Order: sequence, then C-alpha cells, then structure tokens
Amino acid sequence: MTTTDIPAKTVRTKTPAPPPRQRGRLRREGAAWVFLSPWVLGAVVLTLLPMAVSLYLSFTDYDLFNAPRWVGLRNYVQMFTEDPRYWRSVGATLMYVVIAVPLQLALALAVALALKSMKRGKSFYRSAFYAPSLLGASMSIALVWRAVFNDGGTVDNLLSDIGIHTGGWVNKPGWALLAVALLTVWQFGAPMVIFLAGLQQIPVELYEAAAVDGASRKRQFISITLPMLSPVLFFNLVLQTIQAFQVFTPAFAVSGGKGGPADSTLFYTLYLYDRGFVASHMGYASAMAWVLLIAIGAVTAVLFRTSRSWVFYANEGER
Amino acid sequence: MPGNRTKWSCATVAVLTLSVLLTGCGGSDESSGGGKTVLRYTWWGNPDRAARTQEAVALFEKEHPGVEVQTSFAGYEAYKQKLATQAAGGDAPDVMQLDYRQIDQYASGGILLDLAEQKKALRTDEIDPGLLATGVVDGTQYAIPQGRGTEAVVYDAKQWKEAGVTLPSKGWTWGEWADAMRALARKTGKPGSVDPGQSEDCFEVWLRGQGKVLYTKDRGLGFTADDLTRWWTFTDKLRREGAVSAAEQTTQLDGSVENQPLARGTAMSDFNWDAPASGYTAIVGEELTLAPMPSGADGTPGQYFKPSMFMGAAASTEHPEESAEFIDFMINDEKAAAILGASRGIPVNEPIRDDIGPELKDFDKTVADYQDSVDGTLKAPPKAPPTGDNSLQTTFQRDYDQVSFEQMTPREAAEDFITEAKAELRS
Repeated sequence: MTTTDIPAKTVRTKTPAPPPRQRGRLRREGAAWVFLSPWVLGAVVLTLLPMAVSLYLSFTDYDLFNAPRWVGLRNYVQMFTEDPRYWRSVGATLMYVVIAVPLQLALALAVALALKSMKRGKSFYRSAFYAPSLLGASMSIALVWRAVFNDGGTVDNLLSDIGIHTGGWVNKPGWALLAVALLTVWQFGAPMVIFLAGLQQIPVELYEAAAVDGASRKRQFISITLPMLSPVLFFNLVLQTIQAFQVFTPAFAVSGGKGGPADSTLFYTLYLYDRGFVASHMGYASAMAWVLLIAIGAVTAVLFRTSRSWVFYANEGER
Repeated sequence: MPGNRTKWSCATVAVLTLSVLLTGCGGSDESSGGGKTVLRYTWWGNPDRAARTQEAVALFEKEHPGVEVQTSFAGYEAYKQKLATQAAGGDAPDVMQLDYRQIDQYASGGILLDLAEQKKALRTDEIDPGLLATGVVDGTQYAIPQGRGTEAVVYDAKQWKEAGVTLPSKGWTWGEWADAMRALARKTGKPGSVDPGQSEDCFEVWLRGQGKVLYTKDRGLGFTADDLTRWWTFTDKLRREGAVSAAEQTTQLDGSVENQPLARGTAMSDFNWDAPASGYTAIVGEELTLAPMPSGADGTPGQYFKPSMFMGAAASTEHPEESAEFIDFMINDEKAAAILGASRGIPVNEPIRDDIGPELKDFDKTVADYQDSVDGTLKAPPKAPPTGDNSLQTTFQRDYDQVSFEQMTPREAAEDFITEAKAELRS
C-alpha cells in the first residue's frame, strides 16, 4: 500500500555524525556549494533580501521618491482601523476563495472520475482539459475573458438568445467576481491530473470486494473513492487555497486594473498593488503583504488542523 | 588523473555560470545606437499624438545626426505607474512628459534636472511668464509647460441638431446643462452625457463655480463632505433619470477616449480636456464640437487654463545638454510646432502660437477657436495640486462607483472620501 504520509519523525532523524576528516569534508562541501551557488544566489538576492527589505519598509512611510521614514506600527494600525477599502478587499478575497476553490476542485474531481473510466482517447482528453491551466495565467487569456463577459460579448449574446438578459458581467458588482472565479475554475487541469493519479492508486480489489457485497456505485464513491482520495484532495485544497489568496492577473485584467465595479473584485493583491504603485505608499503596501503572508499561514495551519478529522491515510488503518 | 578532471570540470561549470550571470547584468542600453547619443523620451497620449510625435522626433534626429531618440508611450494611467517605478529604480528616462499632478512629487524627490542650468540649449524667454512659473517648485525651474489646455463639453453637433436640442451657449449654468441632458435623453433615448460624478476634474469646475477650491493654499482640502454630498446627489439624480450614463458604462472609464460613452455611441456628450478630444474625430466625425464647461448659478466660470503637460529631464541623465536641446526643439522650433499642432494643447511659445494660429486646420482649429472664445473670461489657475492628489483622483472615481451602483448613499461615500483624503494629505 502506498504511503502518502511521511511521518514527521523520519524527517527529523539525525544523520550519522560526519567523519573527522575535516579536509575531505571541506572539499566535498565546497564542491556542493559551488554547485548550489546559482540557486543560493537566487534565493538570497531575489527572495530573502527583498523580503527583509519589505519587512523593514512595512514600518516606514515610503513614497518611492524620498527616503523611507520610520513610523513604527502606524501602517498596521491604519490598515485595521482607518481604511474601509482594506476591509472591502479582504471581503472580496474571502468571497472569491470560498467560491472559486470548491468549484474548481469539484470540477477537477468530476472530470478525473470521468476520465478514469474511459477506455479510449484518455490521454487526448487529459491533455485537452489540461491546456487551460497552461494558458490561464497569461494576460491575454484574461483580456479575452473580459471581452467574452463584457456587454455585447459572447456570454451576453448567448444568454440573450435563450431569453436571459444579464448584460456584461464584468460591469456589474456581484457578477464580476463570478466572471473572475470562472476563469480560475476553468483552469482545473492541474488539480485534475493530480486527482487522476490519486484515483489510479486506489486498489481495484476494494471495488471488486464492494461490488461482490452489492454496494451501489454511489456507495462505492462515498465509502471507497473519497476516503482513499482524501490525502490527494487535501493536497489540492491546500495548494489551490494558497493560490487563490494570491490571485492577481485575472482580476487585474478582467476589472481593467481597478478592482471594479464598486470594488467588487478589489482582491487583496490588487489593492496592495494599488497602494504601492498607484498611490506610492510602498510602506503601507509592504505591511499589507506581510499581513497576507501571515493570514495565508494561519489559514493553512487551520486546514492542517481540521485535516486530522477527515483525511484518511491508508497506513493508519492498518495500525 | 580523474581527480584533476573533476576539478577542471567544476571550474569550467563555475566560469560558465558566472559569465552567463555577468552577461545578463551587462546588457545595458547605453551601448546600442552605434556610437550615437541615445535619449529616451516617454510620454502619454492617444494614437493621433503618437503619429505626430514620431514625425517631430524624426525631424529632430535629422537635424541632430549624432542623437537617437527612443520613444515610448502609453495611456495616462499606465504611464503614471510605469514612470513612478522607473524613477524610483533610478532609471528615469532622459526626457519625460509630466502632468501638473506629478511635478511636486518628482521635483521634491530629486528626480528632475534643474533646467535653468541648461539655459544655453533651452530658451524660455518666449513663454508667458505666468505659465512658465507653473513648472517651478521651490524656486527651481524643474519642468517647462508644453501646452495650454482647458476642459470642455465635447459633443457631436450633428446629433444634437437632429435631436432638436438647443446647442450649448457660452455661460450656461449647471442647471441649464442638466436640462439639456434630460431633453437629449427624452428625444434620443440615450443619456445626454457621461456621468460627471466620477470625475474629480468636473467636481473642481463645479466647486470653483461656487467660489470654492479643491485644495487650499496650504495643501489641505478646500471643500467639505457637504459640498461633495451635494455634487454626488446632483449627478446621482440625473443618473437615475437616465440623463447621464449608467453605472455599468461609467465604471469602465479609464482616461482613454475609446472607453468614453461618447466614443462608444452610448451617450451624446462628454467632458474632456480640449486637445485630447481630438481622439474622437476618428470615431465621431467632423461635427465634433467643443463647448464651455457649465458655470455656477450666478455665472461664475469654474474652468481654468492649466498647463496641459510639462517636459522635464532626469537628474540622472548622462546627456543633460542633448536632453535640453530636445526639449527646446519640441517647444521652440517652428517646424516642430507645425507638425505637433495642438496635439499637446495650444503651444506656449507666444510667437509660435501667433504664427501657427492661422495655419491650424481641422480639430486643431476647433481647439484654438474654443480657447479664444473663453480666453479672458476665466479665473486664475490654482497652485499645483499636492502630492496625494495623484491617488485621490482614483479614490474619487472608486467612491462614486459605490454611489452609482447604489451600494452607498452620496452622503456615506462623501464621508468615506473625506476620511481617505485627509489621511492621504497628512502624510
């Protein structure tokens, strides 16, 4: 049986102490560092340093033009107490995560199930459904999306043909967020492929035994597929949630860069960008970025906590 | 020996990696241009302005064989963001077009070159002193105004005549304007105008018509939540009546002419600056006309002449003299002026203005005639807006979105705006 779960203990097990031959060790490690250098340089210069600078900036008033001025916690205080638009952006982001992530996962799972039982043309359909994931992150697709959901766009026209007059989705608060969420849902390819891999790991014997016992397909899905798939489901959920919190490009393009209409698609990252690059409040934007980092960490921690009650690891059953 | 081989291949890999990294760093643009001095010049504008600018730049390059000018342009919003990022990164273009709203920030941030030092290459004696002074911050001439502009009601006279609505007249009031919009909507079924509620510029004209100002001399707010509530109540009511554009249309405005309801054929008129309105000619047609902005109830005019844009050079430029020469060419050269026409506003160089005046044709002439018609009746322009105004312009539009989509009352949105404006101006 496969073990998706790596017990934390094995990771922490100590490797045996290095041999006392210092010179040899130095040479070996030196070579390792040389080979690692492209990565280490990148990590330090492009990730760690900017992060440190942004942490410092979050305690300053910095307008890009003049030297940063230390203001202590003022940015954080202002964010939580004096900025109604900040809370609107938090609301819009949460709404988006709650709509887009479950829809995307459900669709990915449904398509994976359909593909699994397919006899012919499986790899063709798998590639076809995966394609949007490759294209989706690009600006051009987001712009096309805006055109499709604008007034007089494809969606408006098609719906009008069957007697439903919605107008342009992207210009209506309440509808615009749905248009952006659909763009994310449409890119269900990546979680789908992972689901497909997970489904193929489930032993056929389980289904055979269930069939012999007279379990219906629905019963089999609930009692075998879902529990056996739960680690993969959990993995996808965590990954997609983290991604959804950071969504930027689709919202930026679909809302014309403003998070409109009426702030309905003013996602957190969009407002962060607005504060930093439009209003030139880099200090405030940095503070927002750190709050987002902590919030995503907290949400992930909560997901891990709840996972104990619903994620089933096959090896646990054997204990 | 195998050990040696490993060592050598390690070294080779390291050298290769480093050389790739170094080539990546060294690819600066200074080397391009084949020995010529390369000037980078950036600006915002519409395609009409782009075509004329390219023509003028080509002429400059012909007259200065040793200089190559690399241009790039974008819409105003995108330009503003890109320029700020470049400037902060120490990579400001040699010559840049600046808005009245940017001067204060860029000058105090040390981004701009003191142009008085380049007097030999850049002549300013033919520019109206009052207008020239708008490019001065703390006693230093950081930028030269490039054109003079004022706001206007832009409309298609043909459509209005067909609808049988009286054409706008000089000195009309906001009340008369509103009546005309209602009449247009009634007769054509289309809103008479874009909703001016989203525009901070229109609000300023309305305020000034009542003898108030947007910003006080000491960079505070010149109006109260009550004033803003009255303005938004006025426009909100017109929107509900269908006399101005619907919220779905208004929310799409981004400063580009193509997205204005007049250009999309979903409204009968627009508020815009006079020169950029040339962008409509391709869409609307020949009978595109400019009318004065509505004035206060007692006839007090609210609009004013402002420098439509400035040219400045980067303090970090390696070619201050060539940059100054180029600015001089764009502002003081007669041949350049003939090409540029009124695409950046009516020229500030007075002899040139008088010379090219009779030569202007098509929409350039419309702009010149329009400016003549209001010249002398307008009040003095306000001081350059404080730094925070840059982002308040966007906030204004956002807050009005809340009103037009009926998620907030005008009063609530106005209170929100005042709170944000005070925080913005405090810093």
